[in-house]
Amino acid sequence: MVWGQERPVPVKFTGTRGELGGMLLRGYVLLIPTIGLYRFWLTTWKRRFYWSNTEIDGDPLEYTGNAIQLLLGFLMALAVFVPLYGLFFYLSTQSSEAAVIGYAGVGVLLWFLMGYAIYRARDFRLSRTLWRGIRCDQGGSAWNYAFRRFFWSLLVLVTAGLAYPFMAGNLWSYRYRHSWYGDRQFGFTGSWKQLAGPFYLSYVAIVLLGAGGLGLSWVTGAMPTVGVPRPGGVLVMLVAAALIGLVLLYYQSRELSRMFSAVRLGQAALSVHVRARGLLGRYMLFGLALVGSYIVLAIGGVVVVGALASDAFAGGEFDPAVFMQHLQGSFAVLVAIIFGYLLLLAAFSLMAELFLGLGYWKLVAQGASITGLDSLGDVRARGEDTRLGGEGLADALNVGAY
Amino acid sequence: MGIAARYHDGLTAAVHAVDLDHAAGTLVVRAGDGAELARWPTGDLFAVPSRKHELRLGANGLPAGARVVVTGRENVGRVLATLPVLTEKRRQQTGREIRIAVTATVALAAVIVAYLYGVPLLAGRIAGLVPPAWERSLGETVARQMEASLGDSGGLVACDPDPDSLANRAIARFGAAVLEGSGSPFELDITVVKSDIPNAFALPGGRVFFFSALLDQAETPDEFAGVLAHEVGHVAHRHGMEQLISTAGTGALIGFILGDMTGISVAAGLGATIIDARFSRDAERQADSFAAHAAERMDFNPAGLADLINRVGADDDFARALALLSTHPLTEDRKAALEVLSQQRPTGLEPPFTAAEWSAIRAMCGAPGKIKRK
Repeated sequence: MVWGQERPVPVKFTGTRGELGGMLLRGYVLLIPTIGLYRFWLTTWKRRFYWSNTEIDGDPLEYTGNAIQLLLGFLMALAVFVPLYGLFFYLSTQSSEAAVIGYAGVGVLLWFLMGYAIYRARDFRLSRTLWRGIRCDQGGSAWNYAFRRFFWSLLVLVTAGLAYPFMAGNLWSYRYRHSWYGDRQFGFTGSWKQLAGPFYLSYVAIVLLGAGGLGLSWVTGAMPTVGVPRPGGVLVMLVAAALIGLVLLYYQSRELSRMFSAVRLGQAALSVHVRARGLLGRYMLFGLALVGSYIVLAIGGVVVVGALASDAFAGGEFDPAVFMQHLQGSFAVLVAIIFGYLLLLAAFSLMAELFLGLGYWKLVAQGASITGLDSLGDVRARGEDTRLGGEGLADALNVGAY
Repeated sequence: MGIAARYHDGLTAAVHAVDLDHAAGTLVVRAGDGAELARWPTGDLFAVPSRKHELRLGANGLPAGARVVVTGRENVGRVLATLPVLTEKRRQQTGREIRIAVTATVALAAVIVAYLYGVPLLAGRIAGLVPPAWERSLGETVARQMEASLGDSGGLVACDPDPDSLANRAIARFGAAVLEGSGSPFELDITVVKSDIPNAFALPGGRVFFFSALLDQAETPDEFAGVLAHEVGHVAHRHGMEQLISTAGTGALIGFILGDMTGISVAAGLGATIIDARFSRDAERQADSFAAHAAERMDFNPAGLADLINRVGADDDFARALALLSTHPLTEDRKAALEVLSQQRPTGLEPPFTAAEWSAIRAMCGAPGKIKRK
């Protein structure tokens, strides 16, 4: 056993982009006849894809949740949202001062609830994750987590972001210290100390870049009080913004690497190495794919419109009057608008999932390795988690990831 | 069978490399040295979803995590051929999920249809429950917000602030006569205000604003009376309140369909526009028909209201193409409907305004085009 302790086992990812793409396209088509309800099945299939293709030491993860649980969870979340919606409605009929105060109050409440939703969603996913026949789980209290996140975020706001490493360290630690694999509790060796270096370095860099960029572009005339901005000044601003983006990616890669690498499970230790250029590559690919798919859609749209209303383009010029006559049937216009909108939306979410979602998962999985796996052989299963539909609020608040 | 597999007993995280055998309706799991680890009756077996070329089996009555995992296309094929019960159970499971999805979809479709046809009725009922005092204070809030947004052009300034002038008395008398018999809890407050936007509208709670630019465009008393009666119709039917309620309901419904209860998405906006525009068009038709019924008690031709609207902004091809998104019916359709409604008007009625009153109304905002602006 002793020799096994030091053997690092790499995490493997076996899924392909084509497989996920096919599944998503099928799901998008099915969303139409089901008036959007298929989204619960689509999410479930997506998770099965990610989980079942993530292989640790020869055994893949298994996602045991199903779509019905997500559907029920959403219905439960409605119970929270319908009264809130009623409150919104009532506020909208009040005098403007009362409405502004009321909206602000509801906004703060939503921000607080988001923390609760995030934690419950993580609980739902972990308790439906199986590896080697043993289920993961999450303890702790979602309200506790929501309070922590809420007050830390206030502190971050008050200190102009300087308190962020403390918040991140605290929340990462809370999440992992309350996670379980069977009867074995996860541990977390990280803290703000691992984040402080990269964070304050990035902070200073961003402040300098921001101030420098603004100052330089002011001098070169990007923001004249009258007239049009000069291209030279705008270029300076764009370069500064791009550099700030790079700094953010650098910090994100450091936070991911250091925090994931602090995760322990008994004697087993996770180590993750994510590079900033890996993250940058994902975003570049996503941008290219999005532009490419929109060009294809635009060409397709022109071809379809050209075929349907060819005489509007007679003589090489576009004649709106003739074109409008083609659209006499109001219903046809409506269908065209909705269909076009859905296509744009589908292309965006498809590319986001294929290049950002899958890309991020693969980056973390392929950068991960685990030492001391052999020590997990005697982990025992715990009782069933009978709670169902825990993720509804996250779905309704749009905070659910993967 | 003798197929290589991995086995997890669901109790500990140990991995066993095993051989599978199938004998007498039982799946036998044997370790490498031949020792028997488990016997699973095939009737209890089920396959859980997994990646390509991998078959994960569980069994009822065992720990939930107990699994036999077979990998490789050939091995998976052999197990599935030997145990047809797996394919059969998977088909049953798929059938169950499809039935649930179809049921949920039908239920949602029913909610949508009920909403489309029910909410105009329901919103009317709910609006009837709203205390008139609340609706009046809501109208005041809206008026204040409107004044604030029109701040540049000086807000809503009445052309003739004297309520006892000949013109204002004539307008108030006409409004009261139109509203009479409708059982409305509100008192009308009709104001002609200076503005170069040709428009007229009714706020919740009984306040009606008529913009001077629209009055300038009116050529006959019929047109002015028609538009005013139409706006009074909105007050009588409490359309402002109804619309507010139905808009809120639409937002909630669209949010439910798209799963985005925060309702910020563009699709939600578009969907809500289409549905709300439909309610709004219904309300316009209702107000038109209210005006036509008022014209059965006083001598004015309600079709004049369509003439005035047409003069201000005729339907173009664009409006026709986007009619489903518009909050108003097409003017030509309204005119046709009003002409049908005004065919049975009795004869020998009093005109709404005397000649002196009409010229006073025409003159109350000064000569056309001479509105002072700052």
